[in-house]
Amino acid sequence: MSNEKDCSMYTEHVESGKRKVTIQLKVNGHQVVRDIDPTMSLLHFLRDDQKLFGTKEACGEGECGACTVIMNGKAVTSCIVLAVEADGAEIKTVEGLAKNGKLSILQEEFIAEDALQCGFCTPGFLMSSRALLDHNPNPSDEEIIEVLSGNLCRCTGYIPILRAVKTAAERERKELGR
Amino acid sequence: MLSRFDYFKPHNLNEAMQYLVKDEKTFVLAGGTDLMILLRRNLIDARHILDIKSLPETQVFEFVEGAGLTIGASVVVNKIVDSELVKAKYPAFNEAAAALASFQLRNRATVVGNICNASPGADLPPALLVFDTVVNIVGLNGSRQVKLHEFFTGVKRTVLQPGELVVSITIPEPEPGEKSTYLRQARLRGHDLATVGVASRLKPDGKVALGICAVAPTPLRLFALEDQISQRGLSEETAVWAAQEIKNHIRPITDVRSSAAYRLHMASVLLKRGLLKLLGKEG
Repeated sequence: MSNEKDCSMYTEHVESGKRKVTIQLKVNGHQVVRDIDPTMSLLHFLRDDQKLFGTKEACGEGECGACTVIMNGKAVTSCIVLAVEADGAEIKTVEGLAKNGKLSILQEEFIAEDALQCGFCTPGFLMSSRALLDHNPNPSDEEIIEVLSGNLCRCTGYIPILRAVKTAAERERKELGR
Repeated sequence: MLSRFDYFKPHNLNEAMQYLVKDEKTFVLAGGTDLMILLRRNLIDARHILDIKSLPETQVFEFVEGAGLTIGASVVVNKIVDSELVKAKYPAFNEAAAALASFQLRNRATVVGNICNASPGADLPPALLVFDTVVNIVGLNGSRQVKLHEFFTGVKRTVLQPGELVVSITIPEPEPGEKSTYLRQARLRGHDLATVGVASRLKPDGKVALGICAVAPTPLRLFALEDQISQRGLSEETAVWAAQEIKNHIRPITDVRSSAAYRLHMASVLLKRGLLKLLGKEG
């Protein structure tokens, strides 16, 4: 193995020089076709290639949940998914939540409940919560806590986040008839 | 990541097997929750990544009466958490699956990956061990079946030979009226590897099966202790006796998660609790 430089902690993709592969996928509803490095993670594809900087890298190892996106309806940590694995997939990122310049109910409730301070973990929390509410419009506290157990927040604390998801679920049921 | 690899996603087993023997630096990708971390930390030098998720054999999730439940190598852990069939027939397996890592990781991590990774502290092996799970292995020269308790050979080591692939596991059908449970201790609720995990199963004929993780270089099936418990007959008294006896059957070490002494203690506590739970008495 080459030891030229230790890029283990680099937070952007380092080109491998391997032959590119073509992937075709939907990102926030838009069809995307790209030739990509086979060693690139889905996270780096979203950030470096698609310039969708909402999805964050923190631990890079699936522990913290900051990079959570929805892949084919399921919340996944995009740092440990290869971009090539997303060929044919439908990806939703935090950028896909607001519609026509208006924040979604879930985002509004995160603000209303003070469920963020620095905001670095917030896109991950939003996408984990979105995936939950898409499958279960009326989750119990325990179900919300379980689904968010893979998302870490180091400043707000989890109670306002739990409240935000609950009130968002209530509003979505009432306002969107879910 | 220093690894420079090609990615291949075969659509039939023959293609996959040809690719697997291409190079000793070929690594199998299913959920990727371990592989991607090894790549990122530069702990492996991969030249080829073989993604097995599109092989039909790996997508199987099928219960056949008399034969049991077969789970392909692409089946993710949350499928087990959500399965009413697993909840009803293999409660210990369902509980172990629900305890594994975080929700997002369970959407990617596979049952078979948790076995093949052969971590001494993996949650699923104790539960799968008590149900006499069989590992279905395919190689270029044919297929073979290995009992799960003979599959692990050491820390991160298994009986798998180069060019062999685990396509699925089969969990034999349990008998009506069985009980089973998986109890684990971790440093915090949620996302942590087990300090100790104990699976126990009680058959209608009074026979007990025990599986345990994080107390030896491999997950263990405690055959000798099971025999002693079954001979004595499972009772509150036997549960108390077994909690004392278990220290003679395990070899825990001290690491970042726990001291060896605490592991011995918790193995004893969890075993007693598990056996009492099988008796319908919460410990």
